[in-house]
Amino acid sequence: MARHRMSEQDYARPVRRALVGLLVVALLAVFVLWRIDSPRVERLRAALVDRIVPNLEWALVPVTRTAALFEDFRSYARVLEQNTELRRELQQMKAWREAALQLEQRNARLLDLNNVQLDPRLTHVTGVVLADAGSPFRQSVLLNVGARDGIRDGWATMDGLGLVGRISGVGERTARVILLTDSNSRIPVTIQPSGQRAILAGDNTAAPAIEFLETPDLVRPGDRVVSSGDGGVFPAGLLVGQVAQGPAGRLRVLLSADYGRLDFLRVLRARPAEPIQDPGSLVAPGAAQDDAAAPAVAQAEAGDG
Amino acid sequence: MAEARTPRSWLPAAAFAAMAAAAIFLRILPLPSVPGGLPGPDLVFVAAAALVLRRPERLPVVLIAAVVVIEDLLLLRPPGLWAALVVLASEFLRTRAALVRALPFAVEWMLAGTVIAAAMLAERLVLGLTGVPQPPLGPAAVHLVATLASYPVVVALLQAGFGLRKVAPGAADERGRPL
Repeated sequence: MARHRMSEQDYARPVRRALVGLLVVALLAVFVLWRIDSPRVERLRAALVDRIVPNLEWALVPVTRTAALFEDFRSYARVLEQNTELRRELQQMKAWREAALQLEQRNARLLDLNNVQLDPRLTHVTGVVLADAGSPFRQSVLLNVGARDGIRDGWATMDGLGLVGRISGVGERTARVILLTDSNSRIPVTIQPSGQRAILAGDNTAAPAIEFLETPDLVRPGDRVVSSGDGGVFPAGLLVGQVAQGPAGRLRVLLSADYGRLDFLRVLRARPAEPIQDPGSLVAPGAAQDDAAAPAVAQAEAGDG
Repeated sequence: MAEARTPRSWLPAAAFAAMAAAAIFLRILPLPSVPGGLPGPDLVFVAAAALVLRRPERLPVVLIAAVVVIEDLLLLRPPGLWAALVVLASEFLRTRAALVRALPFAVEWMLAGTVIAAAMLAERLVLGLTGVPQPPLGPAAVHLVATLASYPVVVALLQAGFGLRKVAPGAADERGRPL
């Protein structure tokens, strides 16, 4: 019996080793494939997440709610203090609301005088945060809305107040939001009173850094930071946060969105800007027909027609 | 191999699958999304190492590979690389399981810890060579320390929860075959 076992193992061991080697090679091939053709593998990932995570919703949601409940209990201890603070803030807000209403009326009158065409108002889809990236090195959350709700890659995501991140990876029922704090996040922003353009670069800390700022002297801590809409990435004018100075003198942004409790998020429907294609007949009348400098254009147009 | 099967031969594989599912589930809970928290341990790898040293015959390598690939995909890691390293590490430990059986726990811990550290180092090396952005060294070191520290906890959990203790040298299963 023992001899039989030994001989069987002697026969099986090289075969097993070869199979394990094959398995490792296959796994490494997946990694290489991901490195070469990332979008295809990422689509696979989105599909897998889409298949697995919504099925866990029944378990994820109660556990998250329970944890949030305990968090709330802790803050009940300071409820009186919070109440007075809120009353004071409410008083201030009433004053601001009055000011905002007056300004809105005045703004509407002025726009009417100028006959200005504004962009149609942004519409949004609201989703519930379903799951986390699960790793302290990646900052992203998973929403329970996806391609079937019309979500597309690259759309901006906000909580009630400020910008939270952008959609990156859409499944049928889920969509992943890369948060502004993720080390892969780069967002074009404008810093408000001075109107300077910069890039907001996440670096896995709670306050992302401001990069590519032309004259940092014009920027003070406390300045408002809004999205700039450069490069067609985001709609312009979404509130991001306030400038703050880091310990190393580096300018950072304190985000307006409450990252401590991301619960319901709005995904803003972005409409792509219409590209302007024809050369414009006013600038060069009849340019396509008799302009010798652009024969290729003429040929292309003839081919199209 | 069919003759080696006993009524409870699926227990180690089931224990591994259950622990991995629980670990991944806890990781993806959307608790506070504020960055800067300390990274936790890699419980799936630790569970695989501990089980492979306890029941080398009963934890199929395909199960380990499948679980870690799913973990890779769910946790937004580069897919495949970490799975390949975990498979290699678990195979290395599997061939030394008979040796470890006779050794005290501290030595087993050191051996497993060395293998885990080597796998993480290899991952950083490959990611560096292929130019994939990777986490800074400080949090990665914390991650390694947390993983090493979780090894005895996982071992205790396997003993208390699933009754999988280390087999003594020459021990046999209920039908009298050597384990």
